[in-house]
Amino acid sequence: MATTASITLASDLLTDAISVSDSTTCMKAGSASDDLDQMELGCVEIATGTNFDLLNADNALNKDKANKVYVCNDSTDETYYVVITIDAIVLGRLYAGDWMFIPWGAEDATADIEIQAYTGTNKISYAWFHEGKTLISA
Amino acid sequence: MATTTATITLSSSDLLSDELALSTTATLTTAGTSTGITQASGLSRKTLTYGSSGVIDTSVIYRADDYTADKANKVYIKNTSSTAAEFFTIFLTGDRATDVHGNADPGLTEIGRLYAGDWMFMPWCATSGTKETFTVTIANTWAAGDTFVFDGVTVVAADSTVNNIAAQIDAAQYPNWVTSVSGAVVTFVARYSNAGIEIDTTEAVSTTAGDGTGAVATTVEGTRSVSDIYIKPSVHTGMTYETMLIHE
Repeated sequence: MATTASITLASDLLTDAISVSDSTTCMKAGSASDDLDQMELGCVEIATGTNFDLLNADNALNKDKANKVYVCNDSTDETYYVVITIDAIVLGRLYAGDWMFIPWGAEDATADIEIQAYTGTNKISYAWFHEGKTLISA
Repeated sequence: MATTTATITLSSSDLLSDELALSTTATLTTAGTSTGITQASGLSRKTLTYGSSGVIDTSVIYRADDYTADKANKVYIKNTSSTAAEFFTIFLTGDRATDVHGNADPGLTEIGRLYAGDWMFMPWCATSGTKETFTVTIANTWAAGDTFVFDGVTVVAADSTVNNIAAQIDAAQYPNWVTSVSGAVVTFVARYSNAGIEIDTTEAVSTTAGDGTGAVATTVEGTRSVSDIYIKPSVHTGMTYETMLIHE
């Protein structure tokens, strides 16, 4: 169940061209053959004014694993942005059209990935590739 | 105008019952505008090696003090290892001043682990802390040949005028401080945020033949940065990462 994540960075901002390409197959922690085989995929609209949990750290199953998180700001107004926070520490801002792809340690119950929208309601898509999720009993 | 694009493709033919094929291209612009971002560190490569597994420590990749906060900065980091079990842990300076969460690295907030071949691309707020600031006031009777010593730099007074001596102290270049001068008062500002600095006359030493003084007074207490980016290898035998920062 291979999932491949590829990136291409290209720019003409230096006197010579920047061209960086890379690809990785998303594996479980420490494995060369056992692929990350679980994922969540979502799309949400984030209103301004509140810092929300986008992903809750399920550290019982994901602490120090090879989780990968993709977040994209699908807003089109260039002044719109979201602030991404992990464990109350701000990672950075995703402006309209920006995306991020990060590993996620989920080291304890407070290590949630949080998101807060600014300027207006931001539309966000996200994916979480993981090794397991504790389901809540009905 | 420079054009910088970042494209991600996430694909899988068998993770879901239908094919996963997600591709997004971001044209990187300055914060809140359509103007292309114009500065980059260039791609760099570094190997971290330690004497034994017991002395593996974190190292700083990027210091927030060197960049402008709350902009549209982006960081790319790759673990070049091909050994599946080898990983880098990526951190930000955090609020883990104590080990209250059972965290192995108090003082840092873990983002996550980059296993062999993995890469990451993230926004970075580059929020720095506060730089320690203090003043040195040159006063009373100084003479040519008197000295002021600080941060490994020795300034020898060229004459006895305190304003001139303060100007000489300001003109010197200090490894860890930048200076400005007003009259006989020299202001030192740390190059990097740091909560652990306290300067007094045992570090900023004035030696005079007469009763000349260089009184030291802290005017701003430093605090640590809250978003320096750290990296820590899982093994001591040499792990290599590549990185690039695109910033404003």
